Amino acid sequence: MTEDQTAIDVSEKAFAETVDSGSPGDGAHIAIRGLRKVFKRDKKETVALDDFSLDIRRGELVTLVGPSGCGKTTILKLIAGLIEPTSGEVLIGGRPCLRPGPDRGMVFQDFALFHWRSVRKNVEFGLEVAGVPRGDRRAEAERYIKLVGLEKFIDSRVYELSGGMKQRVGIARSLVTHPDVLLMDEPFGSLDAQTRNIMQVQLLKVLDETDQTIVFVTHSVDEAVFLSDRIIVLTKRPARIKEVIEVPWPKPRDRAAPEFTALRKRILSELEAENVMEG
Amino acid sequence: MVMRIQGLKYDENNWIHRQVRLAAITVVAIAAFVAAWHVASVLADTPTVPSPGRTLDALINFYSYGDWSSGTQRTMFELIGSSMITFAKGFALALVVAVPLGLALGYFKIAREFTNPIIEVLRPIAPIAWAPIFIIILGSATGAMLVVFIGIFFPLLTNVIFGVRKIEANLLDASKTLGASQFQVFYKVIMPYTAPYLMNGVKVGLGVGWMCIVAAEMCAGTLVGVGKYLYDMAYSGNWPKAYAALVLIGVLGLLTIGVSDYVHRWVSRRMGMDA
Repeated sequence: MTEDQTAIDVSEKAFAETVDSGSPGDGAHIAIRGLRKVFKRDKKETVALDDFSLDIRRGELVTLVGPSGCGKTTILKLIAGLIEPTSGEVLIGGRPCLRPGPDRGMVFQDFALFHWRSVRKNVEFGLEVAGVPRGDRRAEAERYIKLVGLEKFIDSRVYELSGGMKQRVGIARSLVTHPDVLLMDEPFGSLDAQTRNIMQVQLLKVLDETDQTIVFVTHSVDEAVFLSDRIIVLTKRPARIKEVIEVPWPKPRDRAAPEFTALRKRILSELEAENVMEG
Repeated sequence: MVMRIQGLKYDENNWIHRQVRLAAITVVAIAAFVAAWHVASVLADTPTVPSPGRTLDALINFYSYGDWSSGTQRTMFELIGSSMITFAKGFALALVVAVPLGLALGYFKIAREFTNPIIEVLRPIAPIAWAPIFIIILGSATGAMLVVFIGIFFPLLTNVIFGVRKIEANLLDASKTLGASQFQVFYKVIMPYTAPYLMNGVKVGLGVGWMCIVAAEMCAGTLVGVGKYLYDMAYSGNWPKAYAALVLIGVLGLLTIGVSDYVHRWVSRRMGMDA
């Protein structure tokens, strides 16, 4: 009983604050309300995240940038339901997310592919565990493998693929269950600069066809400016929102355009103030 | 095949060259060992160290006429078959027990903590130390089979536990975000992930198990097999035949390990690990 009571208290408080910050809250596809996460180990307490609220619109690509170790991945894992918040909640279409589920897909920096499965079988995984009949899931997996341009490698084993190709499998695998939101945790972070740029363009192409809502964590400001509809600049730990930047420019964007480089510089200097030197 | 030796240069990047080189070195090494053995037998000049030639004669004799020592004739292949069957039974039993147990102990921390002290006490006991107890209580055949079981069980168990615990957290996270239930995570992710570790346990276990069967047969009064044959021949002073049995045991062990090594590598490749 008391537990329920505190939960309500917390969410009310969070709601009040989101209203304060000027966001309507109601029409939001994903509503993050007053999230707090404290990691405890023996006597050591680490506050990874404190009073974090954010509304995400349907079809929007939001990136989280911030100093390393500031709790960006924690935010994604909380949305995914892989870890439980100390307080606060995540609502998708008004429903709270308590457990991981196929409505929130995730793409990992190290790909996290099932290396004993072929490309096709990796992409089919989400449909397989949902009990989709074999014929249907084959057809659906093929559609997404084509979408990421891997149809020639459909029966390859994943260790035969390059890093960029592996992550394309990761993206197809998480899209196949039609998630409400795709959570991407530094998905191109382990790729070389050239492959990274190609993957960003590829991702935009995929988005053209799926209108997928994405929460994207990155270290690269360049990547954030290239991809985002909105950039959330975070403070160092515990992560709070330092600034929200709307980027209304059409995509794909010209990295050499003056407004692009200007925005990049601005965000970089803000991050430098939070003591990070990446770009 | 005619090979022109002149102008033939070893090329490290040529598969045939590498194979020929390895084969040549192997042949020379074996020849050197046999020569050393021969010299040792001449120097020792005692019936307990027969020459390689006499041992080979004894092996051919064993192959041609079998074993008469127990009163009834048994062919060499009957003896090998008998050893192999005990071995296979112990191996099968170890698989059936160690694999589910290892998966469970790897997965459930409390089960692992509970069994760990027991396992750590039992594990260092040489499998053959169980032979007198098992054989006296359960008879030769079952007793020897259980010795093999013990020999294979522990390497298998520890490898499976290790495999389950090695699984990357991201793979579990990925499968959960794709909607897998706990049960599905277990049998669609953890079990296949563990397969190469299981095969490594099989590889180690088969080597240990083969040593166990030979030793266990020596303790087992009524059992027949190559280990028992070795014991009987040495006991009756038929040294060339005893050495012939040793050679046979070595070659059979080599074959067993060779096959399991091949299977291990195949499984690892198939599962996308260190390929």
